[in-house]
Amino acid sequence: MNTQALGVEHYLAGMRATLDDLPPNEVAEIMEDVEAHVAELSTELGEGETLEQRLGSPEQYAQELRQAAGYPARTERLPVTTKQQWLTRPRAAAWGLVAATGVTLLAGTVALKEPAVLLLPAAILVLSLALVHDRGPLQQEIMNLPETHRLEKWLTPEQGTPAERALTYLKSLQPAWWLLRAGLLGLGAVLLASRDLLGFLAVAGIAVLSVFAGPRAKVDRRWLWFSLPASALAVGLLFQVIDVTANQLAYSTSRSSYMPPAPQSYENIYAYDENGKLLTNVLLYDQDGQPINASRNYASSCNEPGSGPEPVIPANRYPRPQIDYENGRCYTVAPSVPSPSSTPSGESAAPSSSGSATPSSVPPTSVSPSK
Amino acid sequence: MDTSQLLKGVLDLAVLAVLRKDDGYGYDVVRRLRAGGLNEVGDASVYGTLRRLYNAGMLTSYVVPSEEGPHRKYYSINETGRARLAESRETWRSFASTLDGLLEEVAA
Repeated sequence: MNTQALGVEHYLAGMRATLDDLPPNEVAEIMEDVEAHVAELSTELGEGETLEQRLGSPEQYAQELRQAAGYPARTERLPVTTKQQWLTRPRAAAWGLVAATGVTLLAGTVALKEPAVLLLPAAILVLSLALVHDRGPLQQEIMNLPETHRLEKWLTPEQGTPAERALTYLKSLQPAWWLLRAGLLGLGAVLLASRDLLGFLAVAGIAVLSVFAGPRAKVDRRWLWFSLPASALAVGLLFQVIDVTANQLAYSTSRSSYMPPAPQSYENIYAYDENGKLLTNVLLYDQDGQPINASRNYASSCNEPGSGPEPVIPANRYPRPQIDYENGRCYTVAPSVPSPSSTPSGESAAPSSSGSATPSSVPPTSVSPSK
Repeated sequence: MDTSQLLKGVLDLAVLAVLRKDDGYGYDVVRRLRAGGLNEVGDASVYGTLRRLYNAGMLTSYVVPSEEGPHRKYYSINETGRARLAESRETWRSFASTLDGLLEEVAA
């Protein structure tokens, strides 16, 4: 099996060398056909039989193919320069894809705050795909890069090892990941909707397209330029959502540990009966018999040094008297009644819908000034 | 006479003919040609012919992924290819009957 694979690789390398004066995209297309052919033939070979015996030498094969395809006769100048080149378009494109995927992962973690950062990886992707878009759906040149071979070898452990079983299992989860990815991207789009319409449209578009990109990339590797970064974006968004949720949880637990459980934004309570009459001296208790106390923002001013102590009234008796303080002393005065149509003078109507006799001003409650 | 010389001129026609009904990948086409009696057809010639017909716009191609081994590129004939097939068939028939006539005279 191993020697057979070596034989195939050797044969294909020989062919590539013989064809390398042709345009790279044409060579890529030819090699797509030929690789499948040679691979299939190699499984049919008998004991001790070689590809050369079946097909002739790689050079002969390539020569026959050239003639049948009507390509020009081989020119000898080109291969030397193309062989030596280190920074080829496929290599630049492959590394561009890797870089863009990494950048997308990072950008994804801040994409909800600033979706415009996604333009950076998008630009890298467009540029790198433009380099190799004409090299066919299988991107054979990228697949033949030494770094790709190393990655492929790393991703295909020996049959039967735990690593191999784990990878096989993960591969079987791929369609589920595609759906999950679309869901995560959709969630990201929804979270963006209220803040950034363009960002919402972009991420929503990516979410929809990502459903098709997964299966398409199996057939046309150029879709990897969409599918890989889409995965990175989904993971980045997931990190961000987890981060935000964790922060909110930490915030709410820390709040509840040292703050009153019910945030009270009111300072006074006015109770009316069904006729719209203001009730005074109402004592309020909760279900546990605990007095219900509104926050008392006047307490501090009355506790200043030199001022008198707090007025002696139950904290849960409503309406509370308003307390004026002047010359360092606190006085309680009759509560002013707020109303929807509050007049600044404090002479206000009760919020009554019945329209029946509404107290225009409130009789002073019998609270004596503080001592 | 070496039939491989004859084949060269008509391989286009033969390849278009075996793709007329069903799409096929390269080795598929080779097998169909051999099953049809063209035993001497060379693998590389068929692949080269497929590329030429494709580049001439008579075939389209699509890739079918394969779990084991490389993906397969299928070729299918399009309208241009069908038109060429019909045209080439007429040319071939008239040529064959002309040659038949010549050969009859020789035999007679």
